[in-house]
Amino acid sequence: MKYTFVSKSKEETRKLGAFLAPKFVAGDVVLLKGDLGAGKTTLTGGVAEALKVHDDVISPTFNIMKCYFKGTLPLYHIDAYRLEHQNIELGLDEYIEGDGVCFIEWPQYIQPLLPDETLSITLKNIGDDNREITLESDTPRFVKMIEAVKGAF
Amino acid sequence: MYALLLDSSNRNLSVGLASDHKMIDEISYDAWQKQSELLVDEIDKIMKKNHVTRQDIGEVIVSKGPGSYTGVRIAMAVAKTIVFALSIPLYLVSSLEVLKVGNKPSICLMNARSKRSYIGVYEGEKTIMADTILTNEEVLAYIKAHPTYAVSGEISQLGLEDKPYDVLTNLLHGDVERNLVKEPLAAKPVYLKDSYPV
Repeated sequence: MKYTFVSKSKEETRKLGAFLAPKFVAGDVVLLKGDLGAGKTTLTGGVAEALKVHDDVISPTFNIMKCYFKGTLPLYHIDAYRLEHQNIELGLDEYIEGDGVCFIEWPQYIQPLLPDETLSITLKNIGDDNREITLESDTPRFVKMIEAVKGAF
Repeated sequence: MYALLLDSSNRNLSVGLASDHKMIDEISYDAWQKQSELLVDEIDKIMKKNHVTRQDIGEVIVSKGPGSYTGVRIAMAVAKTIVFALSIPLYLVSSLEVLKVGNKPSICLMNARSKRSYIGVYEGEKTIMADTILTNEEVLAYIKAHPTYAVSGEISQLGLEDKPYDVLTNLLHGDVERNLVKEPLAAKPVYLKDSYPV
């Protein structure tokens, strides 16, 4: 299933994250795709806020991974951008198949570590604050989530 | 003279204090992703509780991997520091071998994720299959082909029910010649996972 809508502001993108947050369970993996400034970190920030992480979410491009343990569900935020053509055996799999929800930016660079069942969210800058957001998954759990998003956004 | 036993290769944090191959005291509990915060404290606590000073420690026995990428390095880093500071011997034992069940042929397993497991097969002092990484399908086929072997360690990734296991009992007897490290500061953990082709 695939659903596309246009978010008209940063706030609306955050709201999407907050809307999805309570639906996640441990082991869920979300693949975030989109260019720099498309809103990947903004969306993850919305998830973090709704999970009551009480910590600002910043892009983990430098750190590769940031963990937020204080919320209602552990949140792992991976940015694989710097792992292109690198050794990807850094123990990331322990978080991807871990006890929290995992958001992965630039997932194509760590393809072998990704599970079969994922929710993919693609963000595209279409000018000004407008972002075209596409949610896609074949996994029944995530399909239900996408249907809920369809009703609300 | 006491031996200090350490393991943080998987979810658990285990610290043992032994004398003459007898366990004096031990702790072991699930400390997933918190081992680095707790290990040094636990060593301190177990020594104080048993009135053991640093100078009483004669050797350190630690599991070297495979296992959790971060976990295997925690106990090893601490062990290397201790043996360097005290100039005492370091013994490294496979973190799969420490899962063996008595002298029974034992299939020792740990979740390597991405549908794979770390596997090593041991029978007492004998290695039947050296530590390696196999797909969960291959592991299940091996178990099926060896119905008399004990299956030990982390097995929920195979769809089997996890049972408790005890690594300290095996670490207790890890101070044998083949496990003695000649250059402790050069010791490296065993990861087994190679880089994926990208």
